Amino acid sequence: MRLDPRTKMVMLFAVSTVLLLGGNGGAMFAVRTAMLLFPFGLLAISGRMHAAGLMLAAYLGSYALAAFAAPTLEGIANAITVATATVVSRFVPTLALAYFVFATTTVSEFMAAMGRMRIPDWIAIPLSVLFRFFPTLGQEARAINAAMRMRNITPISRGASYVENCLVPLMSCAVSIGEDLSAAALARGLGAPWPRTNTGSVGFALVDAVVIAVSLAATAALALSLAFPEAIAW
Amino acid sequence: MVKETKTESPVLFMSEASFSYAGGHSGAGVEGISLSLGKGEVALLCGSSGCGKTTVTRLANGLAPHFYEGTETGTVRVCGLDVAHAELWETARFVGSVFQNPKTQFYNVDVRGEVAFGCENLGFEPADIERRVDASAKEFNLTPLIDESLFSLSGGQKQRVACASAAATSPALVVLDEPSSNLDFEAIAQLRMAISRWKATGTAVLVAEHRIHYLEGIADYVLYLDNGRLARRWTADEFARLDDAERIRLGLRARSVDDAFRNSGCCSVPAMPYAQKAALGENVVRLENLTAHCRKNGVLEKTLEIASLELPVGSITALVGACGAGKSTFAEAVCGLNRCDGTVTLEGARLGKRARRRKCFMVMQDASHQLFSESVLDEVVLGMEGPDRQQRGLDILCDLDLDLFAEDHPLSLSGGQRQRVAIAQALATNRALVVYDEPTSGLDLFHMQQVAEGICRVCERGITQVVITHDPEFALSCCTHVAVMDRGRITEAYPLEESGISRLASFFRSEYHAGEDDPSIRKTPYSRQKE
Repeated sequence: MRLDPRTKMVMLFAVSTVLLLGGNGGAMFAVRTAMLLFPFGLLAISGRMHAAGLMLAAYLGSYALAAFAAPTLEGIANAITVATATVVSRFVPTLALAYFVFATTTVSEFMAAMGRMRIPDWIAIPLSVLFRFFPTLGQEARAINAAMRMRNITPISRGASYVENCLVPLMSCAVSIGEDLSAAALARGLGAPWPRTNTGSVGFALVDAVVIAVSLAATAALALSLAFPEAIAW
Repeated sequence: MVKETKTESPVLFMSEASFSYAGGHSGAGVEGISLSLGKGEVALLCGSSGCGKTTVTRLANGLAPHFYEGTETGTVRVCGLDVAHAELWETARFVGSVFQNPKTQFYNVDVRGEVAFGCENLGFEPADIERRVDASAKEFNLTPLIDESLFSLSGGQKQRVACASAAATSPALVVLDEPSSNLDFEAIAQLRMAISRWKATGTAVLVAEHRIHYLEGIADYVLYLDNGRLARRWTADEFARLDDAERIRLGLRARSVDDAFRNSGCCSVPAMPYAQKAALGENVVRLENLTAHCRKNGVLEKTLEIASLELPVGSITALVGACGAGKSTFAEAVCGLNRCDGTVTLEGARLGKRARRRKCFMVMQDASHQLFSESVLDEVVLGMEGPDRQQRGLDILCDLDLDLFAEDHPLSLSGGQRQRVAIAQALATNRALVVYDEPTSGLDLFHMQQVAEGICRVCERGITQVVITHDPEFALSCCTHVAVMDRGRITEAYPLEESGISRLASFFRSEYHAGEDDPSIRKTPYSRQKE
């Protein structure tokens, strides 16, 4: 199953809005639960069972923490727990879906979709670099993390300077990756004034229609519940 | 008529071309470069690190001055196009580029998209692109990999993708900047095939390279750069006749695979006494049941399986094997950095994964990953204990010729110096086993010898060392033992004395021939044409 990149964008927008803003009442709870299927279900279907499982566990864990552990705590402990758990449970589904989108979209497909939407190159090209930039930076980050473990640099042993220790090598990597990527792309003719050919095959199928319909319906329900809280509150 | 005169003129023509970088930090400038390259001719640019080789390749593909800013004088023409004044995308129609680092030269995440990338940018017809991608993939033996993710490929496969992508637009000139730096011998042999195919089909090729042996018999001209100037130029015959003493004086690597083994004494560090010394030692570092797993497409795969391996204390073992054989996984497992099982017995103590992180140390291929502090001295002192640690840190820096840089920021140092700072960290924290991940990739003869000397100095302190390498010249210049790795297992381990040297030589030769004899490559139409 392949989704059109444009479908993925609609879905990403719908999932992040609905799960971040939430809305109240039983109906919106049902809508939110349904929207959860997108990130975790799609990750699982695309063969990333491990990631789907981990992220679902993080979501359920933080959700349960907010629901059951928080009432038993008091004062600052309560505030910290509730704040952390809420933030995690609201962002994890969006992160999971973003991971799915980045992992399953090729640059060629993305550029083709951008072309169909008549998005100008100066927006499309910087966005398309991200598909390459983040995984590459991720590889570097893993190497840096290994080096830190080897030297026993942990948040406990280093305190506040831990963040600095992480960021210094990572920033220097990010700069050189960005420069090399741009040089390689420009040397191969990216940014020419004539229309770029896009060989990535994009197009809407039945599954795209279903996903878009569900996304739009969920966003509409959210808008409705925010505008008229009583209208659909059971 | 006009067209005919164009084909007669050289593909690449440089006359008194000079370039200096604005700010001067992104590389060495060049001065007064004149060269001319016709159809099907191959020119090799060589010279020590920082001599300006890369800059010449950038002049040819237009990245200097269009991406790397600076001042350019003189003429650079590709197929009659004035590169300095044309836009980069105009130059891209005639010039294909392959860069050194496979990690950062790709724009796509999948192989097919990457091979098609240049054609898409140039706006070719979709049907034409499909035909070109298929042809290019076939030519570079990528058909089975065409739908893979680029992140799952080995270094050699990535470099083949880069070549296929450059070839897909059928450029008149292909420019390669140190393409063999991260490759094993099999992949290097395949690179040789790719270049000879370009030569046979009339594409001009400009290669900047340190490891020049694979261009033997292909390069028509050898150009030697010194300090940004073309100091020497040879035809293929003249270069072959150059005597070895002269070659070593110029800091050039071996001209053929056999050369590398003939001149094993080229390094200033005598390897043999160490071999004998290490052979005498009875103490060993023992690795037992070392296994590691890696998740591939959701399935846990065993990537390392070493039942038992003994390294004499104080020895320097060269770990050789093809790309993807599990050498880096080995390094990580020894240092306890990945998902692994098994023990390493060091100084009489059996160490599990966690304990190994304190007693073993890895010098990474890109040492900037392991530099965290504001100054070189801080970097070394970090993790040391006791009141006199500043002084001890300085002593270690003195030992490694780094004392002049003690107050500098680690990221302001050169690659080789960063590597030595990483070694200093290992010495400062009393590690008993140090593993190096390809410490000499992309280094010239002089810097390679410097790394070898550094490793020998560490050896004098009785530290056991393992060096992952694809470089026979380097292995011969400082290693005492050899371990061969294949598909996660150690298949052979032997001391590097006279019989060991010939064993190592035959290992590298067979790897090289495996790449040359790849049947899927030999059956391409062009080589049939040649037959």
